[in-house]
Amino acid sequence: MANEFPFEISPMFEGERVRKDDMFVELAGPKSRGFELVRAAALDEIDDGKFTLIGPDLSKMEEGSRHPYAMIYKIAGKLVEPDLEAIVERRNHDFQNYIQGYMHLNQRYDVWVRINKDAIKKGLNSFEQIAKATMMLFKNELSFIEKIEATYITDPDEVEKQRTDAIKIYEARDARTKGLHDEDVDVFYGCTLCQSFAPTNACVVTPDRISLCGAINWFDGRAAAKVDPEGPQFAIPKGEVIDAIGGEYSGVNEKAVALSGGEYSRIKIHSFFEYPHTSCGCFEVVGFYIPEVDGIGWVDRDFTGIAPNGLAFSTMAGQTGGGKQIIGFLGVGVNYFRSPKFIQPDGGWNRVVWMPKNLKEKIKADIPPELVDKLPTEENVTDLKTLKEYLEKSQHPVMQRWTKEEAVAEAETPSEMAAPGWSMPSPSMPAGMPMQFGGGGTKLNFKNARISIERIVFKGKEK
Amino acid sequence: MTLKKGSFVIEELENVQINIGKIGAKEEQIAEGPTPRPEIIGLRNWDYRILDRYNPVYTPTGDTCDYCTYGKCDLTGNKEGACGIDLEGQSARQALMTSIMGAACHSAHGRHLLNYLIKKYGEDFKIDVGPSNLQAPLTETIMGIQPKTIGDFIPVLEYVEEQLTQLIAITNTGQEGSSRDFESKALHAGMLDLLGMEVADIIQISCLGFPKSDEKAPMAEIGMGILDPKKPVVICVGHNIAAPAYILDNMDKNGLFDKIEIAGLCCTAHDMTRYNKTAKIIGSMSKELKYIRSGIPDVLVTDEQCVRADILKEAQKLHIPVIATNEKITYGLPDRSNDSVDEIIDDLVSQKQSGAVLLDFEKIGELVPKLAMKMGAIRKAKGLTALPNDNEFKKLVAKCTKCLQCTKDCPQGLPISDAMTAAVNGDFSLFETLHDKCVGCGRCDYSCPAGIPILNVIEKASQRVIREEKGKMRIGRGQIGDPEIREEGRNLVLGTTPGVLAFVGCGNYPDGTKDVYDIVEEMIQRSYIIISSGCAAMDIGMFKDKEGKTLYERYPGRFVKGNLLNTGSCVSNAHIAATTIKVASIFAGRKTKGNWEEIADYVMNRVGAVGIAWGAYSQKAFAIGTGCNRLGIPVVVGPHGTKYRRAFIGKPYKKDDWNVLDGRDGSVVNVEPAPEHLMITAETKDEVMPLLAKLCFRPSDNSLGRAIKLTHYIELSEKYLKKLPDDWHIYVRNEADLPVAKREPLMKLLEEKGWKIDWEKKKIIEGPLRKVDVSFQPTNVPRLCKEVKK
Repeated sequence: MANEFPFEISPMFEGERVRKDDMFVELAGPKSRGFELVRAAALDEIDDGKFTLIGPDLSKMEEGSRHPYAMIYKIAGKLVEPDLEAIVERRNHDFQNYIQGYMHLNQRYDVWVRINKDAIKKGLNSFEQIAKATMMLFKNELSFIEKIEATYITDPDEVEKQRTDAIKIYEARDARTKGLHDEDVDVFYGCTLCQSFAPTNACVVTPDRISLCGAINWFDGRAAAKVDPEGPQFAIPKGEVIDAIGGEYSGVNEKAVALSGGEYSRIKIHSFFEYPHTSCGCFEVVGFYIPEVDGIGWVDRDFTGIAPNGLAFSTMAGQTGGGKQIIGFLGVGVNYFRSPKFIQPDGGWNRVVWMPKNLKEKIKADIPPELVDKLPTEENVTDLKTLKEYLEKSQHPVMQRWTKEEAVAEAETPSEMAAPGWSMPSPSMPAGMPMQFGGGGTKLNFKNARISIERIVFKGKEK
Repeated sequence: MTLKKGSFVIEELENVQINIGKIGAKEEQIAEGPTPRPEIIGLRNWDYRILDRYNPVYTPTGDTCDYCTYGKCDLTGNKEGACGIDLEGQSARQALMTSIMGAACHSAHGRHLLNYLIKKYGEDFKIDVGPSNLQAPLTETIMGIQPKTIGDFIPVLEYVEEQLTQLIAITNTGQEGSSRDFESKALHAGMLDLLGMEVADIIQISCLGFPKSDEKAPMAEIGMGILDPKKPVVICVGHNIAAPAYILDNMDKNGLFDKIEIAGLCCTAHDMTRYNKTAKIIGSMSKELKYIRSGIPDVLVTDEQCVRADILKEAQKLHIPVIATNEKITYGLPDRSNDSVDEIIDDLVSQKQSGAVLLDFEKIGELVPKLAMKMGAIRKAKGLTALPNDNEFKKLVAKCTKCLQCTKDCPQGLPISDAMTAAVNGDFSLFETLHDKCVGCGRCDYSCPAGIPILNVIEKASQRVIREEKGKMRIGRGQIGDPEIREEGRNLVLGTTPGVLAFVGCGNYPDGTKDVYDIVEEMIQRSYIIISSGCAAMDIGMFKDKEGKTLYERYPGRFVKGNLLNTGSCVSNAHIAATTIKVASIFAGRKTKGNWEEIADYVMNRVGAVGIAWGAYSQKAFAIGTGCNRLGIPVVVGPHGTKYRRAFIGKPYKKDDWNVLDGRDGSVVNVEPAPEHLMITAETKDEVMPLLAKLCFRPSDNSLGRAIKLTHYIELSEKYLKKLPDDWHIYVRNEADLPVAKREPLMKLLEEKGWKIDWEKKKIIEGPLRKVDVSFQPTNVPRLCKEVKK
């Protein structure tokens, strides 16, 4: 196919690195300054496809030199809104890396670009070529962008000036993201992208719950739903609030049946025990109920040891996933620990009784400070006995549940279940239906029968 | 009264006889699917589904049958032979026999190891393969059990052996008459092969301390130039680690690693490095004859599989004693297992005997290093080699009359006489190129009317490149652990990983080893996950880039896009197939135990994995490929693969072949041909790359996945075949499926094909075969649908 650009554009070049010796110029990066920014604008403000360069162009740059570099895109369209800016901006990295001989690293004010000598030899001589290619990719991929224009800056003073403004914009955006919660929006987003592998899984993405894989947040969902409202990411109007703490909404429930192919009909977005959110299998962390201390432990994919309950990540992860609502195990992304609604109906952080050291380190800043030292890792405890001792010694808040449970147990009929309304699945494989002699059911008469038993298995210790 | 599910009370028993078969303390797991331990026709319905879409295509090398004394029978023109079989039936029977042979090899290897390891470690030795919930995915899917100890594999191999015996019986004259059923049985043998391999590798990983799902396994040295020929050299040839392990232990114990060089040829080498990372690798079977004739080995230790039949004859000429350590290959040598080590050494050193069968591993461990020390001194003093010296070489190349008989007899058709002419003028570069392309079979030696020992001449002329032949290979890691698969799930779903390509098989490449390197490098840069095993895994590590780095040094070994994994030896192939079962279990929660059909159906419709055996030569490679086919994984073989004489080819133009059901309601959906073929030959490197990209398409692809797959299909075709593929548009369901960088020009081409485009919205309005629906649940198995529409 004819190519209007003097370079190839393909995802093949995503992993391409431009080393110092092969480099024609370096733009922005740790030894210079730069940024990238996308801004929403009105349709009539934009001259579609226009490119402006402030400062010297590539052809005026010396081989081996380093320059400040800013890339500013203005986008417009009937569906374009400021909330989409960050989403579009992040794609600059992906798309620019498609360009052969052009390396784009990091994002925002940390961008770092290198162009290799071969690209120059093949005819790359202006930033206009880069900007045009990038704008073409933006418009192809994100169809809500009806008009786009780009301003690139290589003039040091101008980069410096506009960078200060850009940083203010990033800060305002972060404040908006952090301050946005489930109760602030009317619409959540559903994501069924992974149904190509996990047929009954669907993610409900809310401001307080990122998709399980960590790849799609509420803003991503919003952007994707604008590109193709009937696509795999779509709006779910919240509807009535059924359980604000657990995160149950009539709109979500209505969708649940269809999303799961009829597997389940209710979802409590933030619940561990009741109608929990499903997972496909790519979760980074699996939570597991520990009935002995009535708490929840979490173990991450990278932890190769054994949790206090005697099981490894893979064994427990194998109990959940596949788009099934399994009670007792819950797959989540690391980011969910940062949600202010983190398993809030189940006691939130107060219910968390164990996690591996590396995971704890990673999310330390998000653990309530008073709990950090009360939360044991594999360095403090090795089994259920030492876990219980540690929790007692450190006065972990989960202990309050122990007394409550005991009191309840005394007052009511004793129950085998550690929490009402649900049962623990066995972490080993199901042993099949037990024979229920003396129960109800149909009565059978066997006459002239031959019963052939291939094998009898004794359970328990007696032999 | 109709019986329903539930519990029942037995109120009365009258004249009831109860037979109890077995009483034990072990709890057996219960199969979750309908076909635990499938018998010969247990999965025939699934096979028919495969065969009806991917029709067997036969390329027989002859049109007669001479299997029995009725023959030989002329089967041309649809004639039947004396027993009633026709050419199609006979060809299918041939496929079955090939499959059985391969399956028997791996399973017998597994049986040998199982008996030995149980004797040494006991039946209760626990399985440990690394972080995994499904520890033995193939065993679980086929047998319906979850093995915990190595003893749990006893019934597994018993099953394989019993089934193989049944299958062998079927090949006798006067048995099966239907070619379709012969093929179904061949698929059964292929599945048994996967099972036998899994048993063999899991037990050796568990017992012998091999890397367990280790993405960071260390590097091993590989190549004909890595050994110090001044030291005594031990070379182990074959596939079975049992005997070499004892030699390595003895050398370790006695601190001999800096005194003796020890390396392997073919898969034994893989497992030696997995057992002890000090061991080294010479290369694939293609290097056997070349390396022996160099005269460098001082002792040859053979075990089983891929061992040349002429090793003893060749070794004798150069006074290299051969120690045969496995009953499968004994070369007519005396069994010295009950003799003392010193007696045997005396007889071998004095050339009283040219080799010995030795089945006692302890003795092998003690004898081989001792023998190497003695033989090394003697042989190096004599300078024994089959290669000509410089003067002889000059005379030999001058003798060539350019009759081209050697080129005619060469399996690769190499231009040997051109290289002879160049060498006469002192230019060895043509021979150096031949060295890489030559598979070391030695057929040319017999063809030369002037009596030139051609292989020796090639090797003599290539000494410079051989000395530099020093690569690196990441030691076999074993299985792919669950945590890696979980992590990669996101990339597979978001379309950043276009597919999983398994480079497997042997070294019978059509145009040299370098092709494998080139193909892998191209595809890995495109973010495909590359998994390798066996000789292919070795050859990938033989070449270096400008900076002197091999692909294993450039790309990490995790199951993540753009990574390069080596699972290990030939039997480690099982883990590659098993990974697709894990995907079904992890992401879709599919039950595995005794549930082959459902898993294979999932794999075929959803998992973009393709096997490529570019240099496949053996019956084993055929069996592995056939087993993968039954699991829904397409396989591509190199041009020599046509000599397997059977392929499974899809016909995109037969629309009805591509009807699948939507699992949500059982409705029929006509889909694009994906995967287009199940077993197919590619002729050239240029042709195979776009083909691999195409075979990664699956009906369940979401648009992100489809777009990236289509991007690479189109780009690879344009890059290597210099044209857009003829059928690219078939795989387009909407505009989001189009490669993002080429959306507009491609939409213009679609418009030219008569599709309707809304240029305002840049949307495709009319043209595609079907719409994208990410929740579509493609299946070929009616019983897996929620409700079947009447």
